[in-house]
Formats: sequence, C-alpha cells, structure tokens
Amino acid sequence: MRLLVVEDEIKTGDYLRQGLTEAGFMVTLARNGLDGHHLAMTETFDLLLLDVMLPDVDGWRIVQSIREAGRQTPVLFLTARDSIDDRVKGLELGADDYLVKPFAFAELLARVRTLLRRSSVPVITDQMRVADLILDLPRHRAMRAGRKINLSHKEFCLLELLVRRQGEVLPRSLIASQVWDMNFDSDTNVIDVAIRRLRAKIDDDFETKLIHTVRGMGYKLELDDEHE
Amino acid sequence: MNSRLGKRPLSLSTRVMTFVALAIGLSLFAIGYLVNSAVEHHFAEQDADELEVMTRAVDRALRKTSDGSSPLDEALSHAVSGHHGVYFQVWDKEKRLLYGPSTDDYLTPVGSFAPVSRIQVNNQYQWQAEGNNYRGVITQTQVGGFEYIIVAAIDMDAHLQFLKNFRRSLWLIMILAGTVTLLATWYGVHQGHAPLRGLSGTIREIQADRLHVRLEPDGVPRELQQLVTSFNDMIGRLEDSFVRLTHFSADIAHELRTPITNIVTQTQVVLGKSRSLDEYRELHYSNLEELDRLTKMVNDMLWLAQSEHGLLKPIREPLDMNQEVRELFEFFEALAEEKQIRLEIEGQAPRVMGDRAMLRRALSNLLSNALRHSPLGESVKIRLEQSDDGQVLLSVQNVGPEIPDEHQPRIFDRFYRVDPSRQRQREGAGLGLAIVKSIVEAHGGRIDVSSFHGATTFNIRLPQTTVGKV
Repeated sequence: MRLLVVEDEIKTGDYLRQGLTEAGFMVTLARNGLDGHHLAMTETFDLLLLDVMLPDVDGWRIVQSIREAGRQTPVLFLTARDSIDDRVKGLELGADDYLVKPFAFAELLARVRTLLRRSSVPVITDQMRVADLILDLPRHRAMRAGRKINLSHKEFCLLELLVRRQGEVLPRSLIASQVWDMNFDSDTNVIDVAIRRLRAKIDDDFETKLIHTVRGMGYKLELDDEHE
Repeated sequence: MNSRLGKRPLSLSTRVMTFVALAIGLSLFAIGYLVNSAVEHHFAEQDADELEVMTRAVDRALRKTSDGSSPLDEALSHAVSGHHGVYFQVWDKEKRLLYGPSTDDYLTPVGSFAPVSRIQVNNQYQWQAEGNNYRGVITQTQVGGFEYIIVAAIDMDAHLQFLKNFRRSLWLIMILAGTVTLLATWYGVHQGHAPLRGLSGTIREIQADRLHVRLEPDGVPRELQQLVTSFNDMIGRLEDSFVRLTHFSADIAHELRTPITNIVTQTQVVLGKSRSLDEYRELHYSNLEELDRLTKMVNDMLWLAQSEHGLLKPIREPLDMNQEVRELFEFFEALAEEKQIRLEIEGQAPRVMGDRAMLRRALSNLLSNALRHSPLGESVKIRLEQSDDGQVLLSVQNVGPEIPDEHQPRIFDRFYRVDPSRQRQREGAGLGLAIVKSIVEAHGGRIDVSSFHGATTFNIRLPQTTVGKV
C-alpha cells in the first residue's frame, strides 16, 4: 500500500513517515504543497494524507486538483484548525476523512486502515475465526474451544470489531464510535470496563489470551503477541 | 464629514441654547410689541381728549356767533388759544371753507373722510401734508339752523419722533437683555455639564487593573444618578468577567504545568544515566499518558473557545431523547454494573431538534459524573418530561454527597472544582460541566443544578424546536 504524506512540519512529517512505514505502508513524504501536488498528480497512491495548512499550495487545492483530474484516491486531511466550516469545506472538496491535530497515532492508523478497506471490496462472510474463537455473525454467537460464550449484544459487537481488525491497535475513541456510536472524547473508563468484562468471558478461562492492552494507545486482538 | 454630521445628534449645549434663544426672543418680542402698542394707544387717547376739547370750544364759539354777540371770525380766532401745534377749520354743508387755514397747507381730508358723531380713539384720521403728520377728527354741528363741519387736527410729529426714539431704545434693551440671557444660559449649561466632565475624567482613569473603582452616586446631581448606577453595574460585570478570565488563564497555566512538569522531570531523570530498554519504554508510556491528558485538555479548551465565540453550531436533526438516553445507558452499562448502580429512565419527552453527537456528549458527561459520585448500590436516574411552556426537561439525578450551596453557581465554570484537593484523578481537568453548559447553550437551552436531601440533580431545559410528538 502506497501512501503520500504532505506535511510541512518537519518533526510531524518524520514521525508520520516512520510510524506509517513501521505499520507496513510504503510512505512517500512531501515537505511542501508544490511537491505534494506534483506527486499526487503524477504518481499513483492508495491514500493521501494532507496537511491543510501548507505555505504554498494548501491541502484543499491538492484535493481539488486530483478530483478534477478524475482520481478517486481516498484523502485524509490533517489539520490544526477545527471548525465545522473547515470540515464541511474539506469534505465538499472531496476529502474522505478529517483528523484534527493533536491526534493519537493509533487513531490515525485506524482511520487510514478504514479508508483503505473502504476502497477495497469488502469480504462478506458468515463466520470469522481466530485460533479457537469462532464468531457466528448472523446469529450473533461466539464459541471458544467448542464452548458457547454468552455475550450481550454490545459485547458481541465489540468482539466482532476486534476480530475484524485483528492485529490493529484500536484506540478507545474508535471503539466507542464503532460499537456505541459515541463520537466524542469521553473521559470515562467505560471502554476499559467493557474490555475487562469481555476478557473475563473470552480469555480468562483459556491459556491463550487473545485481547491485549497496548498501553497508552488502546486494545488489539491478536493470536501471538510478544509484549504484554 | 457631512454624513457624520448628519448622524450625530445636536450637541446638548446647542439644543438648550436654541430653545432658550427661541423662548427669550419670542417673549422679548411680545413684550416689546405690547409696550409699543400701549404707548401708541396712550398717545391716541391723549390726542382724542385734546381734539374733543378743541371741537367743543369751536362749537361753543359757533353758538356765540349765532346769537349775534360776536362776529364769526373774531369768535373763532380765540376759540382754541392756549393749544399748540393744533389747527381747526369750519366748513359749511356745501364744503366751503368758512374759517381756518387754507387747505393748500393742510390738505384737510374733509371730502374723503366721513364726519363722526363721537370722538373716540379708533375713529380719528391721520394724514400727511407738507412733510408733517396730522391726526384729526371731523364732526358736524347745528347752530341756529346752519350746519357746520368742524375739522380739528393736531400735529403728530412730536409724538412720532418720541415713538421712534422709544422703539429704538426698546430694541436696544431687548437685544441687550437677550444677549445677557443667552450668555447666562450658555454659562449655566457649561457649568451644568461640569459633573459630566468630572465623570468622564474619572471613567477615563479606570484601567484594566483598576476595575474595582466605582463612581459615587451621591456625588453627582440627581439626573446623573441613574447613569452612575448603570455604569457601576457595568463595571461590576466587567470586573467579574475579567477576574474570571484572569483566573482562567491562571488555571490553564496551572493545569498545563502539572503534566509538563511530570514529563520534563521524568524524562530528565531517566536520561540522567544509562537505563534498560524497559525503563525507556516505561518513560515513554508515562509521557504518553501525560501528553494524552494535555491533548484532551487542549481539545476541550478549543471546544470551549469556539462555543464562546458562537462557533459551536449544532447540526440539528430530530432526536428521540428517550432513545438517546437508552443508547447512552448501553454505553455506560458495563461501568454501572461494576459499581452496582442501576441506570433508570423515567418519563417521556417529545422529539428535540438537536445535534446528536453534542447532546450525547453532554449527557455522557453528566452520566459519568453521576456514576462517579454515586455510592455503590444506588441508582442514577434520568427523567424526561415536557414542561408546561413546551420546553423539554432532562434531569440527571444521583444519590450522593451534596454540592454545597456556595459552589453551585460556579460549578459550570471552567476548571472549577468543588474540592480543590481532589485534582487530577481520572476525572479530567474540570472542563466537563463547562462543556455540558456550552452544548446546552448552543442549543438555546439552560442548565442548572440542585442539590439537597442527599441527592444531586442536573436539570437541562431545551427549547421547543420539536417536530411533533413521539
């Protein structure tokens, strides 16, 4: 997956490149709007990450240009400005998502993956499995090692999200948004409690733990994880 | 310039001066007119008396001639001796001059004026001849079967001259009196504005750091008392906001200082000597936690700054609040169960036009507050109802320690904590309730808190922008 990052702030650019590269993406970094514009128009990327405020050609112009050129590459805006008007303008110009600085890197990664998934054909399945955990999607049932596990509706949704995006670190805000449709930063530890209760049902009685806490970032579901 | 002049109202002095000048001018003019008429009338009366005396004397002389005791000329020549500046003529019925100075000199209007039977002020005649002005009367009399016409006239020039001088003096006095009055008025107005200038000077000295200064309402004239009171009220409100703002800046600095100190100190200590990889990792985790806290604080403060500038624009859609509350309960279910707290919903409310994410955030803040302060095994209640005036009432109630009265008005202030010693636990920076308030107000609603009988209730009132019943 090739990503183009256009970011004029040097540190931010460096860390975005490093972080995304280590997450397994091929990252091209442009440090000004002109280079970014040129690269976006001439080369093919799977996703563009654009800073809105650039000294020469701003992010809005770049989106406008590539949309006018008929390219459907998904675009994620990064901006320090958080006003609804800006957001609406960005989305009207053809941006796919909008992330306000300061943001959590895990959040960025999750959004990038969502956008990339959106552009690929979704796989429709009735069943998902990780190790000995089986999810029966139409019937909202979960089994582990052949044993039926009783989950509430929301617990099942939470588990499904973790399984669908296994291996990804899911920040708390993303979990709240995807499972409960709560699209705001909550200062409660609701997610931690919910995960703890899910763990009690999924992991506690089993040798192999599936749900892992990534400190300072969120949670992930993974079969083999070296750090705990 | 012209347009500016057009917009600015006339100066107070100009207004007063204009009115006073008009009033003084009119009354002086009226007085002058009355005095002048009175004097003229007086002269006319005096003349009428004199003419009457003359006419009677001539009449008496004529009667003397009729009994033949003396000839006409002789009798008449003595008739009016002792009068000066007068003359008379006697005519017969056919308008032939029988006695008196010739008409060439006096142009007596015996033909053009009709004779009168009684001499009065208003039936005398005036005419000019040879540059002199005369006032006279024409009467008829019958003596011994003859009809005579008597013309008696007085030279008015002396009177007219007097009147002319009199009028000039009158004008002079009027102008002088007017000018003096206007000057006095101007001085009075100027002096009258002195308290205003004094106030203005005092107000000018009020700087941001001297907002405690108040004007003295008893030290100004009664008319300015209201102004002074209003001004004092305004300064009071300003001072209040200013103090809040100052505290706010101080609070921000304080809130930022703690996590920053943590980050700096920890990082410096860790970098002080060579450490294991795990220790470095631990440092980063710790820093991350502090930075997350800073991020959240910055985001919340930006949110509040936007709300303060009216930039918080709810994207409204019809919301079934009962449904919203149930979904929030699902969100908080796990947390509540852990604390063995029951979440209860009561009542029914009509749909509200509101921003789903914002209202969820507001209610979520209140709910998490309620859960935090509610003791184990109790219940948190949300009541929904429609008030009589059509507003939608949402109240979030929890059993728990009461909020002392003195804290209640300030509990929605940013960074305000009822118990300052309980800072920096998991509960954020003390912006939660400020955000709730900003959201409610962005929806045109109001929020208040009541706390008694061991329970605390937050009441949200949202205006009726509803679309039909649920």
